[in-house]
Amino acid sequence: MTDLSNSADPTATAELAETPPGRLSWSRLSEHPSLLIGGGIVVLMILIAIFAPLLAPHDPYAQDITNRAVPPVWFEAGSWEHVLGTDQLGRDYLSRLIYGARVSLLIGFAAVSIASVIGTTLGLLGGYFGGRVDMVVTFLTTIRLSLPIILVALAVVAVFGGSITIVVIVLGVLKWDRFAVVVRATSSQVARMEYVQSAKAAGASNLYIITREVLPNLTPQLIVIATIEIASAILMEAALSFLGLGVQPPTPSWGLMISEAKSYMFFSFWLISIPGIALATLVFAINLAGDGLRDLVSPDGRG
Amino acid sequence: MPIYLAKRFGLAVLVAFCVSILAFGLLRLQGNAAGALAGEGASAEDLAIIVETYGLDRPLIVQYASWLGDVLRGDFGTSYFFKSPVSDLIFDKIGNTVILAIMSLTIALAISIPLGVLAAVFSGSWIDRLCSLVSLLGQALPSFFLALCLVMLFAIKWRMLPASGAESWRHFILPAVTLGYYITPPFMRLVRAGMIDALSNDYVRTARAKGLPAHRVILKHALRNALVPVVGLVTVQLGLLIGGSVVIESIFALDGLGYLAYQAIGYRDFPVLQAVVLLLSVVYVVLTLLSDIVNAWLDPRLRVS
Amino acid sequence: MTFRTTLAGASLGLLAALPGAAQQSENAVRFAYGQTLESPDPYFTTLRLGVILGRNVWDTLVVRNLETGEFEPLLATEWEWVDDTTLDLTLREGVTFHDGSTFEADDVVYTLSYAADPANRIVSQQVANWIESVEKTGEHSVRITTTGPTPAALEFVSSQLAIMPSDHYTGPGGTTDADLPIGTGPFRYAEYSAGGEIVLERFEDYTATDAKSAASLDRVSIRTIPDQQTQIAELLSGGLDLTMGLPKDQADQLAQMPGVEVQSGETMRIVFMQINTSDDTPNPALQDVRVRRALNHAIDKAAISENLVGEGSNTIDTVCFIDQFGCTDEGATSYPFDPDKARALLEEAGYGDGLTVELYAYRERHISEAVINYLSDVGVNVKLNFMQPAAMRDAMRAREVELAQNAWGSYSIYDLSASTPVYFGGQPDDNALDSELIETLDDAGKSMDTEERKTLYRQALQRIADEALAVPMFTLPVYYAGAEGLSYETYPDEILRFWEFSWSE
Repeated sequence: MTDLSNSADPTATAELAETPPGRLSWSRLSEHPSLLIGGGIVVLMILIAIFAPLLAPHDPYAQDITNRAVPPVWFEAGSWEHVLGTDQLGRDYLSRLIYGARVSLLIGFAAVSIASVIGTTLGLLGGYFGGRVDMVVTFLTTIRLSLPIILVALAVVAVFGGSITIVVIVLGVLKWDRFAVVVRATSSQVARMEYVQSAKAAGASNLYIITREVLPNLTPQLIVIATIEIASAILMEAALSFLGLGVQPPTPSWGLMISEAKSYMFFSFWLISIPGIALATLVFAINLAGDGLRDLVSPDGRG
Repeated sequence: MPIYLAKRFGLAVLVAFCVSILAFGLLRLQGNAAGALAGEGASAEDLAIIVETYGLDRPLIVQYASWLGDVLRGDFGTSYFFKSPVSDLIFDKIGNTVILAIMSLTIALAISIPLGVLAAVFSGSWIDRLCSLVSLLGQALPSFFLALCLVMLFAIKWRMLPASGAESWRHFILPAVTLGYYITPPFMRLVRAGMIDALSNDYVRTARAKGLPAHRVILKHALRNALVPVVGLVTVQLGLLIGGSVVIESIFALDGLGYLAYQAIGYRDFPVLQAVVLLLSVVYVVLTLLSDIVNAWLDPRLRVS
Repeated sequence: MTFRTTLAGASLGLLAALPGAAQQSENAVRFAYGQTLESPDPYFTTLRLGVILGRNVWDTLVVRNLETGEFEPLLATEWEWVDDTTLDLTLREGVTFHDGSTFEADDVVYTLSYAADPANRIVSQQVANWIESVEKTGEHSVRITTTGPTPAALEFVSSQLAIMPSDHYTGPGGTTDADLPIGTGPFRYAEYSAGGEIVLERFEDYTATDAKSAASLDRVSIRTIPDQQTQIAELLSGGLDLTMGLPKDQADQLAQMPGVEVQSGETMRIVFMQINTSDDTPNPALQDVRVRRALNHAIDKAAISENLVGEGSNTIDTVCFIDQFGCTDEGATSYPFDPDKARALLEEAGYGDGLTVELYAYRERHISEAVINYLSDVGVNVKLNFMQPAAMRDAMRAREVELAQNAWGSYSIYDLSASTPVYFGGQPDDNALDSELIETLDDAGKSMDTEERKTLYRQALQRIADEALAVPMFTLPVYYAGAEGLSYETYPDEILRFWEFSWSE
């Protein structure tokens, strides 16, 4: 069991894996303020990302190197022309921050979509069929878990060059383990349930049972894992970009913005704190929402 | 029990074997291995010599077998960049990484156990909420951002600790706190869950009924039981820590394995990179094996399954 | 002032920072460098740190006085050109290596023969490939025979050709049995860890000369700190006494801090973009001269030089340093900043809808980013590949690079043969492989007639400019940030002479 439950947050995986399948009870939403707050922030950020061209006051790529590192409006030297100031190349910081939300969210959602397809497929196969298939799935998951994920991601990006596509593919291919673990545990429970057994007896095909009976019952868990993984993928993109091996300039990515601002941090702290706070807020909100969702799907809430 | 152990051991070996294939594949990712080995300004004759010396014209499987043979004898090849044996480099750096991992873990446990116990004892109260908030924040704050903030305060403003390097134990404090803080949430959740479980157990209720003071019940009986799963997590996290310190080691210019790997990536130094990847994976496999053995020994139910 | 410093540092109380006085009493200097050194042997690295170590741990036969431009005696006391291809040198007596052994003619013969043999693969072939043979003509005299007339020979002898003890190497590629290499210089290696810390100690038995004094410091420790903010943090917290190569903005900000002193100096280092126009180019669009001219017109190098690079930076129109012998911008086409013209040229070349190119760079990332923004403004979409210098060098030599942002310091050699021919004279880094250029530069490198050399070099530089085979940008000043009380000189050759360093009271 241990070899399967040790992702970044093993307890979260274990809790989910032990949660019996069921459907989301949306009526209890109001009892979960963390879900409302977290979800609210996330939705807001998504809206900002979608409507970035309408919201950004300037072109995020337009540089003016005679007007660099103008501080935000709340500093004496700041102005309303650049509310959050300009960066080290004189680009409008607010506009870059707004477009940066696009990059972070796009990478988070896209990478996790790939990961969820891989992980869910493997988990379903292992959980539903059991036996040898399950052994293979468990084995693959163990191998994936034993690989140092950051190093492998860095190496692959270093070889193929940094771009949004490469980062999405690398993270997607590396981050499926939690999906596989939870889906495998839950689907093996579902597979043993009476209605599945009777559907089998009635001659329904495996594909039919998996897509019509098993998968719908996994939806709540999948949503919860997805939130955890999106948060983690966004952080990993930031870490890769921070090391200079993620999204490449001049794309406005929050990780890259932090990376570029880091040598200014002792003198112009706002340059690093603005994207830093934005990133932390997004990840915090996603995790908060994820926590709330987990409470929602576990039958008796927390503790 | 012996059958379980043998099976478990066999699985570990098989995993290690598969990982070695992946690590070997890393070198081939970049395609032109001979060019990388020959380096600057290599002529066609140079390349031919390299191909012959390293046997790069042999089928991949033969190359893999000979590489694996060398690895099993402790020979990881020669660094493209430093031109010295990879095993020497790793031997040089691994100490710093292990110190960092152990210190981070100690810090994480020192924070998570008291907080986890508090959260469980006062489950549902504001303390519980505060603890889960702290844990959520820990996961949200990018570790590199936290690291930079700590340097700013402790190294520059208060001048209490060095900003980078690995010369003394004091140099490890800031990186260890950063990493430790980052891995605290999973431990805290586990301690909390374990404590809630333990506190509802019969023997704890009995002890309480007997009129033993609450702190004794909590510390002596419940905590001991709650900590059993933590041991398993410790071994696993130790493996992850050794691999996950790339970012932190490079920020603090801490001359360890992660930093070596980061440099190796920059220099396309694939022999070093594949050795580090393989080593970290094997460490992880060994640690999970150990934790499974310990678990099996602690929990007789597992022995039969 | 175009960069606004808000000095959050002040509000955080950072201004109270004072460097540690401990190093002063220990008579030691702690230095940090941003890139990892691949080898302690100066023949096997192109990194500036390797050149610095080469000068501090080793001696050359002669040395150039940067003030007078004259060569002065070091390990050789006298030298004479017997004819165009024969150089006789008399060696100094009484010099010892760090292990106590005596320096003699055999060491010179051994070192130069090793370096000159291409099979031994020293990293920069051009510093020694002009040597045909070296022979011992006495216990303390040698004769160097060159492959042909080599006007720049003494430049190489005085800069890169450090003398190692005989039998130091065990094979090609710098392999050696010695734990640490030794030389005759004012410092010796005390510790060296690959990618880690390097410690130099004063060599007590150093033979001081007018050109190179004995060291005053007891110890110099050198660490690799890749992140600039970590270097700054170490400086501000007193963990470091000196760092070099910070960008202008950081240097400007540090200059305002008490306890830290910033010096800037002009250097010979030129920044330019090399364009792969060879037959192997991964991007055939670059073979179109209109595209290359468009690249030149698109970038406002004067603005970058003034705002991002700072004082001491001058724009250049040719790929060489103006004070080098033979370097001139006379008659070379210059491409003023004109984005409209750049767009028109691209349109004309059939890339009106946009063009994608890959840019490789290994330092001054902020400059790369500014360049990328200028190029994207005229419709050239740039993909950046930022990598470590050794990896970029390999990619360049494999001609896999489309555009390369180079910062070339000519090994501090005041002769054009150390700059332009490296990139256009058919050497491994040449990505143009233009036969006419190769021939012209080759002829110039072999001519002993000063005027003829100048003419040939001018022709080559004009051809490069007319054909827009590169985007010459500007010279790069270097900033040094050091602890208060550390006294040292900086030189345009960017070589730290640790033997001249001292702590003042």
